[in-house]
Amino acid sequence: MRQEVAGLSKAAGAGRLRRPRWRRLVARVLNYALLLAIFAFAVFPFLWTLAIAITDKTVVGGTSIYAFPQSLFPKALTLGNFLEVVEKLNLGKYFLNSVVITGLTVLGTLLVSALAAYPLARMSFPGRNLIFGAVVSTLVLPTEIAFIVNVLTLRDLGLLGTYLGVVLPTVATAFGIFLMRQAYLAIPSTLMEAARIDGATEAQILWRVMVPLSLPSLTALGIFTLVGTWNAYFWPSVALLTNDDLLPMSVAILKLKGQFNYDSFNVAAGAMIMMIPVLVVFLLAQRFFMRGTEGAVKG
Amino acid sequence: MHVKRRALTTALIAYAFLAPALVLMGLFTFYPVIYGAFLGFTDYTIADLAAKEPPRWVGFANFAQVLGDPLFQTGVWNSLKYLLVVPVLQVAALAVAVLVNQKLPLMGLFRTSYYVPVVTSIALAAVMWDWIFQKDGFLNWSLRLLHLINWEGRFSWLLNEHTALWAIMLVTFWRGFGYYMVLYLAGLQSIPAELEEAAVLDGAGAWQRFWRITVPLMKPTLLLCSLLSTIAAIRVLEEIIVFTGGSGGPLNSTYTALLYVYNKSWGNMLDANFGVAGAAGLLIALVGFALSYLNFYLTREERGGRA
Amino acid sequence: MVKKLLAAGMLGLGLLGLGGMAQQRTVEIEFWTYYLSPNFDNYIKGVIADFEKANPTVKVKWVDKQDTMERDLTAAIALGKAPDVVNLWQDSTFAAAQNGLLTPLTELTTQAALENAYYPNVLSIFTVDGKPYGYPWYGWVDQGVMMYNPELLAKAGVDPNGIKTTDDLLAASEKIKKATGAYGWLPPVKDPNGASFLGRFFLEGLSIYDAQGKANFNSAAHVALLQKYVDLMKADVIPQELLRKEAFQLTNELYSQGKVAIMIGGPQSLNRVKESNPDLYKKTKVVAAPLGAAKLQTGGAMDLVIPKASTKKREAALFASFMTSRANQVKFANVVPIVSTARGSENDPNLRPKDPNDPIEVAKGMVSGSGRFINPGFKPPKNTDDIFKNFNDNIEAAFLGRKSAKQALDDAVTFWNANAK
Repeated sequence: MRQEVAGLSKAAGAGRLRRPRWRRLVARVLNYALLLAIFAFAVFPFLWTLAIAITDKTVVGGTSIYAFPQSLFPKALTLGNFLEVVEKLNLGKYFLNSVVITGLTVLGTLLVSALAAYPLARMSFPGRNLIFGAVVSTLVLPTEIAFIVNVLTLRDLGLLGTYLGVVLPTVATAFGIFLMRQAYLAIPSTLMEAARIDGATEAQILWRVMVPLSLPSLTALGIFTLVGTWNAYFWPSVALLTNDDLLPMSVAILKLKGQFNYDSFNVAAGAMIMMIPVLVVFLLAQRFFMRGTEGAVKG
Repeated sequence: MHVKRRALTTALIAYAFLAPALVLMGLFTFYPVIYGAFLGFTDYTIADLAAKEPPRWVGFANFAQVLGDPLFQTGVWNSLKYLLVVPVLQVAALAVAVLVNQKLPLMGLFRTSYYVPVVTSIALAAVMWDWIFQKDGFLNWSLRLLHLINWEGRFSWLLNEHTALWAIMLVTFWRGFGYYMVLYLAGLQSIPAELEEAAVLDGAGAWQRFWRITVPLMKPTLLLCSLLSTIAAIRVLEEIIVFTGGSGGPLNSTYTALLYVYNKSWGNMLDANFGVAGAAGLLIALVGFALSYLNFYLTREERGGRA
Repeated sequence: MVKKLLAAGMLGLGLLGLGGMAQQRTVEIEFWTYYLSPNFDNYIKGVIADFEKANPTVKVKWVDKQDTMERDLTAAIALGKAPDVVNLWQDSTFAAAQNGLLTPLTELTTQAALENAYYPNVLSIFTVDGKPYGYPWYGWVDQGVMMYNPELLAKAGVDPNGIKTTDDLLAASEKIKKATGAYGWLPPVKDPNGASFLGRFFLEGLSIYDAQGKANFNSAAHVALLQKYVDLMKADVIPQELLRKEAFQLTNELYSQGKVAIMIGGPQSLNRVKESNPDLYKKTKVVAAPLGAAKLQTGGAMDLVIPKASTKKREAALFASFMTSRANQVKFANVVPIVSTARGSENDPNLRPKDPNDPIEVAKGMVSGSGRFINPGFKPPKNTDDIFKNFNDNIEAAFLGRKSAKQALDDAVTFWNANAK
């Protein structure tokens, strides 16, 4: 279903059939003007970072990267900064670690959250409110010392310095469970009742009704988890204290900010290397959380 | 008897679904969080950790110390002020979500670009925002074009105690609207298309459809987003560190509650005082609980509205 | 309880093991540095290889840490897997030593040997409550050299050779600002770390403490000095942004844009200019830095410490002194312009500039051997964070015109003396 510029003008949305053509055009132009304005607001630091990352530093001439707006328009372009970062930090290995850690974390989070949220949203059993309250309360409780306690637990479990050690403590989150619970709550209960009458088990209802209908929320959760895990450097650095072969790229990229030879072009290239994979995933994944628009009536 | 057995089966199934989450959270979230809260009632510093001394119970001593510290009071007050970003951020994020929920050419790129601030490193974004807020920066320059300020009296927005916190709130807004946009977009998909169509045929305008259909059906998402945003605002830290070098200046006008905790623990690890940090963290959590309750209360379900 | 018994048992076994067969076994020690990889991989790995060759029974595992160093170290100690040699700096060494995390070096070597190997002034930076805790490693000087943009100075009619004192420098800054619109020099008045304005007092020969160790930096002379800087900021001779950003960072940003004429400090600033504005780098000239009335050079250094939780302290000490030896520090100074803190470096022939036309080489020649001039300044008080925070808040209030200079310093002294435990 199209949402024509909701909130812009009452008349603009009052039924497409009754609306003259020129007004539709004006609405379309206003739409894009607004979209472009927000676009500029959102991406300007990204564009600056990108501009520096592709600036050929050997011909930078008399301007500094901090000189605005000159530094937004590099005199000469290159991909050299990217190659330099990849080579200098040996990023290939770290990139693979990042992919494994992030992949496992996203899968784990989706699985655990989708399962746990279902009874919290749609089943009545003793302890439900208590458990939900406890889960949500961890969003606000202090976590300053959690990392020390958690490495000790990992050691006792023999998981210190393994991929699993990095991943397991982060997959069950209040955020994920809460998000999925809210998504399930929005699904009309008639659908569940119908499935129950057809004799479906709870697991079948979850898998065949709830999960497909909450695909947009699952995708959102997946993307948030992906971004969070991909960029996290503190927890992986502690959990892999004893095994730096498994460190993710987010930790390796910190090395660009040394006390000597702080190379802003390389730092910018490093930031791009971190951001671009995530944005590509977002670009590809958004059709999952836009799924609902696909079947909408046309005109 | 039969009813009882069914209830038991349901409970068993429920706990089976919950089991992985409960085991993992129990080990890696509840246990450290409870331990951290317990430390708030003890005297426990990095020296004790090094010497393998156990925490010593001191009751409410840390709480008295923290509550009596003017810096903590300032911090809580500033964090409460920070909450003002929440309604603005949520309204904007929902509006943007509705805007990009259209099927128009290039929409995929717009949606992705609005998500860019979420993945931009705050340290790099800070350089640009810094340039905007400077005395001779972009913001003052634009305001002059619009004849909104007296150029001679211009100042750096981050060095004036009346504007610094607002300036940083704008950055939080910038970082947040794309994030909540995604959640709202996901929520919008759960609204059955038939409802909207029926409303259109009834001659309802966009504004009416928004308030009568979108908002009521999005209640679960609204609660989720407003709660997350409230908690994030009361626990704001990263922006403050980046824009003030961790000082909370000028004149402590951006010193937030969590900055206090940070300075007693993470930010100063080799001199950490886990007791005081834990107590301060618990006090902030109390505020967080109260605000969370308010969120649940304001978005409570009126039965029968759905399905 | 059980854990404690186990730990005691393990310690006993460890000691037995060490006594019995330390000779044959190879021992692996873990060495943590701070932000040195990958730029100095070759250098560090080279020194480690030399060490392992000279000590075939010891293997060194090198790990470079970044942002998370202090938290990683805490976690490692909690785990009982503490690294054996760790690269810290003054603040962190103080905090760690006062909290019992570090081994006093005199347990492993004699005070005389330490004083023989390092400049005593640098060694004292890492001396906490009378005991040395860190092997001095690479250092820097705050004054060092004066690097300037000759075009801006010429335009303002300022003769760089006439700048001999901090007062000259401030007078020149006023002229430069008036004539060119660019700032002259950016003094650290409120850096995010530490308490920069105390440094200004110290360099002008004004006291921080009285004979009893009480803070006393609120005399008329102190007030006048603060007032002077407050007035300079009001007149925009020094930028207000100094209240928010580290002077070193801001100087680097603005110098490369031609918006600051003079940099004072170590040659490492030039590295950044070289990268962000090579043309300006080639024009930049280097002369001796002006000094304050006290004629002192302040500075600092990195150090290598041995955690108390290390189980291989003897090997750790061996390696730490090898890494920080004069030969190895001088080698390091030739890789990047650091100041060697090993005694006798001022006469080392390997610290002379190789190319008299390259600004970095010239500056290196002038400062690399100046470790004997590094003055640690004053000892930070206990409860440093709270006290420095309060001091900086007061300085900021004075600069923003919310308190008089006198009121600000009076308040800071009162808080200081009430809270320094």
